[in-house]
Amino acid sequence: MSSNAEIERRIGNDYQAGFVTDIESDTIAPGLSEDVVRFISAKKGEPEWMTEWRLKAFRAWQEMAEPTWAHVHYPEVDFQALSYYSAPKSMADKPKSLDEVDPELLRTYEKLGIPLHEQMALAGIAVDAVFDSVSVATTFRAKLAEAGVIFMPISEAVHEHPELVKKYLGTVVPQRDNFYAALNSAVFSDGSFVYIPKGVRCPMELSTYFRINEAKTGQFERTLIIADEGSHVSYLEGCTAPMRDENQLHAAVVELIALDNSEIKYSTVQNWYPGDKEGKGGIYNFVTKRAVAHTNAKVSWTQVETGSAVTWKYPSCVLKGDNSVGEFYSVALTNNYQQADTGTKMIHLGKNTRSTIISKGISAGKSQNAYRGLVRMNPTAAGARNYTQCDSLLIGDQCGAHTFPYIESKHPSAVVEHEATTSTVSDDQLFLCRQRGIDTEKAVSMIVNGFCKEVFKELPMEFAVEAGKLLEVSLEGSVG
Amino acid sequence: MAEQFHAQQLALATEQARNPLLAALNAAGQQAFAAASVPNRKTEAWKYTSLHNLLTGDFQRTASQSDLTAGLREVATLGSLKAARLVFINGQLSSELSDALALQQVTLFSQADAEQQALISQHLGTVLAHASSNNSGSAHLFNDLNNAALNDGVLIHVGKNQRLEQPLQISWLSSNNPQPFSITSRLLMVLESGAEATLVEHYASDEQPQNSFTNALTELVIGDNARLQHYRLQLMQEDALHIGSTHVDLARDSQYSAFHLGLGTRLTRNDIVVNHNVGGSHCELNGVYIPQNQQLLDFHTCIEHKVPHCTSNEVFRGIMNDKARAVFNGRIHIHPQAQKTLAELSNKNLLLTNTAEIYTKPELEIYADDVKCAHGATVAQLEEKAMFYMQSRGISKKEAEVMLSFGFINELLEALPHEDIALVLRPLLAHRFGRDQSLSRHLLENETAGLSGENA
Repeated sequence: MSSNAEIERRIGNDYQAGFVTDIESDTIAPGLSEDVVRFISAKKGEPEWMTEWRLKAFRAWQEMAEPTWAHVHYPEVDFQALSYYSAPKSMADKPKSLDEVDPELLRTYEKLGIPLHEQMALAGIAVDAVFDSVSVATTFRAKLAEAGVIFMPISEAVHEHPELVKKYLGTVVPQRDNFYAALNSAVFSDGSFVYIPKGVRCPMELSTYFRINEAKTGQFERTLIIADEGSHVSYLEGCTAPMRDENQLHAAVVELIALDNSEIKYSTVQNWYPGDKEGKGGIYNFVTKRAVAHTNAKVSWTQVETGSAVTWKYPSCVLKGDNSVGEFYSVALTNNYQQADTGTKMIHLGKNTRSTIISKGISAGKSQNAYRGLVRMNPTAAGARNYTQCDSLLIGDQCGAHTFPYIESKHPSAVVEHEATTSTVSDDQLFLCRQRGIDTEKAVSMIVNGFCKEVFKELPMEFAVEAGKLLEVSLEGSVG
Repeated sequence: MAEQFHAQQLALATEQARNPLLAALNAAGQQAFAAASVPNRKTEAWKYTSLHNLLTGDFQRTASQSDLTAGLREVATLGSLKAARLVFINGQLSSELSDALALQQVTLFSQADAEQQALISQHLGTVLAHASSNNSGSAHLFNDLNNAALNDGVLIHVGKNQRLEQPLQISWLSSNNPQPFSITSRLLMVLESGAEATLVEHYASDEQPQNSFTNALTELVIGDNARLQHYRLQLMQEDALHIGSTHVDLARDSQYSAFHLGLGTRLTRNDIVVNHNVGGSHCELNGVYIPQNQQLLDFHTCIEHKVPHCTSNEVFRGIMNDKARAVFNGRIHIHPQAQKTLAELSNKNLLLTNTAEIYTKPELEIYADDVKCAHGATVAQLEEKAMFYMQSRGISKKEAEVMLSFGFINELLEALPHEDIALVLRPLLAHRFGRDQSLSRHLLENETAGLSGENA
């Protein structure tokens, strides 16, 4: 009996963030039209230029077709069946501080392991939490303001810092960039806005947690980070969603602007609901993330992708300025029926630009995991350098691991190196562990952790631990 | 533009196809070609390969009768290679230069006896057909066009446990014609179990400016324990256009080792598809592309591992000069049943100028877990340290460049199992790199002492 209970518990444990928070929310009827775009804009009390900007994106989107080139298969998304705006009702008049936040919401974040006050204070991390489509709480604003750092929901930034938003929004990912980016530009409801002034080193880690709660809604958040000359910022985002039978859509856009001599480090721990063991439900994660690095600037993407039913995500760097640096460190794990098509683009424009790509794909169960990357050396990229390594690990004989690296070079002094390997957790490795009294599941988890070590060491320390645990949970039941 | 080309080629194909033995294949090809659309830059497998020169080239007729010039005679000897030859000039057999028809293993589709006709019906088009299911883009409309227009071809049948001592050289030569024209060529080779052979496919032309478009298709059926060494040398003049496909079927414990060389043409597209159909087979696929001036050379390779216990090793190298462009797409596809596969691919490229371009994409698509697969790709220029080393010893910069480029390719030539062919290729490549004879002179002094006199 007790062993049964244990099994039950384990199965239930698969997706720990799968609860639904029961709070009243303000959701508009499904469907998308110019009126809906106007409604969202009006709901946010946005100025005219912002509404126009959205409408331009919406009109572009109407003419675009959904991309089909990725190595993923899913039933067509009916964009008219989704609701494009959902906000917790009690947020209608925004809380001024954390104390005013709906305690139900706070408990949600605590369940997620995101205690907004104490632990983050100890960890020294400022958090912006986005619940469904609305930013619910931003911590440490005052402290950050002292340093001159602006960290707030983008909906507020539109009002408080229109000059910055106007200047940078859409400059990295234009409205017409791709199907999902256009959709996001039209209907995005919130997200984080960060501005680090000249020469400032952001005093703490910045962080955003995203959560989809409401059923039949899509989440479209938009993040804009601007690091002014000589500044430095490290930013982390985390994502979760409830367990639901239907597929939900998440189409975010992240734009990073690293001006001369600045540095942005952007880390993601993505744990959207991946669907159940039969592949039912789960989030469709179609995300556009791109950074522009100016002279001597550095942009570093680190991602740990364990969730989502379907992932379509390519955090990219446009290395525009001379000597700029782009990095991409990724661990993508798929289990059961998950599908991931993820990778990066490194566009080298400036002289002596450098990029590093380290990608680790792990596929288990019946999942498909693809790395798709582009390294482009433009005719102006003298002395540019790229190193790419993408390794895949297969666990079980029904999954797939794929690699599609595109390399385009137009400059003789640019050097591109690409390496990829595919292997499995070998019987020898398992035998060695088991011989020393480590059970199979633990052994696999150890081997996988070792496989991902190069990427984990790039994560902020607190999250490296979390990421390791996340992999362990996600792999449960995939061996033996 | 594309529609016009499509319509013209379909009309030409219908007019050309007259062999009753091939009627079914022709009809299927014409139907498939009529239904297919001409790829453009949005077609994934043709993303970097512009067909502009082909589509605007007015290739709506076959060649008129052409003379056997001294230039063609010289080219046909392929550097005095000792081989049994079949020589075609603008698609027509030149009986004067061909001696291979004397061999019982070699015949033309149009001269096949009943037994050989049965072989043709059994195999022709079947190897090619695998490509339509592999989703790699190598099943394109030019294959359909070849099927549609096919009137004659070469059949090579090596019987059980037979061993062909001499290499078989099949030369498809083109010469200048008053008007642009198309050539459709086809080769079917069947090796029965335990057979062994060396095949040299040679595409070349005389020194005149060319106005031909060659659509060449080769199907190789390699039986149990059979071994084939395959050299496919594309040495046409720089105005010619060439679209070629090589499709290979491998049976139990068979071996296919190939060397593909791309030097000529304004536009080349080469698809190479190797199907591991039964366990124990091994494929060694190597190649070199060296475009210069305005050339565009495109190699798409696809290794299909369909069954367990097969191995493949692929090495392609390229050197891009002037305003040339090269495309390499190397795909390894491991099917779910293909456990215990070993597959490797390496692609190294040198860019010599600011205006040259390379697009490379090594692909792995893996659906089985107990496999070892790796691929690597690099793009760079000649190593600075090596250049410095040579210059510090009094070798001019230009000369050092030539020597290092040659060395980069020569590594592959040295691995060729057939030394005679390496000896034929070295002077060709040395000449290519040197351009100016005085620079390439040194390259051959040590390398090919045995061949002195022939390269002068």
